[in-house]
Amino acid sequence: MAKAKAKTDSALCKGCRLCVGVCPKDAIEPLTEVNKKGYEIVRVNEELCIGCGQCYKICPDYVFSIVEE
Amino acid sequence: MAKTYKKPEMINQQVGWCPGCGHGIIQRLIAECCEELGLVEKTVQVVDIACAYWSIDTLNADGIAGPHGRCAAVATGIKKVYPDSNVYVHAGDGCSYVIGLSETCFAAERNVPITMIVVNNGVFGMTGGQMCAATTLVGDKTVSSKKGRDPEVAGKPYDMLNILSNYDIAYAARGALYDPKHIDQTKKMIKKGFQNQMEKKGFSIIEVLSPCPTNWKLSPSDAMEKIKNENEQFFPVKVYVDVDGGDK
Repeated sequence: MAKAKAKTDSALCKGCRLCVGVCPKDAIEPLTEVNKKGYEIVRVNEELCIGCGQCYKICPDYVFSIVEE
Repeated sequence: MAKTYKKPEMINQQVGWCPGCGHGIIQRLIAECCEELGLVEKTVQVVDIACAYWSIDTLNADGIAGPHGRCAAVATGIKKVYPDSNVYVHAGDGCSYVIGLSETCFAAERNVPITMIVVNNGVFGMTGGQMCAATTLVGDKTVSSKKGRDPEVAGKPYDMLNILSNYDIAYAARGALYDPKHIDQTKKMIKKGFQNQMEKKGFSIIEVLSPCPTNWKLSPSDAMEKIKNENEQFFPVKVYVDVDGGDK
């Protein structure tokens, strides 16, 4: 069965960190790196990600998409 | 096949809501509901002159901004002229419950088949976070209640859905955004609101408990905790009226 993983579009991120709190596998790492707008972005650890879609649901800025690999 | 999620195509750009604002989530829920029900071409959004105004730039649909507080009246007009369109109001609590109280009540009294989505964040957000008579909780500090809301001076907040459920309307429900489970529940409520409109059942109002981290002066995750621990105690998440007699 194909597995789904979360992908991020960091340019949209506003650094609210809501995704970090809801991830059931702690797969989302907050970074100190900033995007063009100056917000601190996040990175998804693909080894841990199970593609559940919780981050997609809570994100107010459409950063995440859950795609099949 | 694994379930996939992708940003709805109806959303064409990101706009300037503050980090952690609930408006962005509500916008996505609206877009997903419109796409799933095949209403994209028919949708007309009526937005408020406040934070909800950004919505007009975000969504790839027709839209109009009513005078502040008069969204329900503008939406009523559009619905009367284009009865087959899907007219929804996206407005805040200050607009719908304080400044536009009479418009909201009269739309409910006439039972106009529109869908009203009210973002309850407990403050007047765009103007800098003043106290909202309907929704700021007792003790909450805002720009215009520096020592916390005092019920002897400013009165107590009131549950508008309780008041509106006395009218003969089709649907009244309250959702919340503090975790993905409640976001899914809110999506079902919004979808039900659009379905009621298409089936011409009557006025539907969905209130959403949403965070305003900037004006509450909390981090986005603390703002979500506040909704869960404080706001939800006073504003219960439930269905108040359902003309179909669904789960309450």
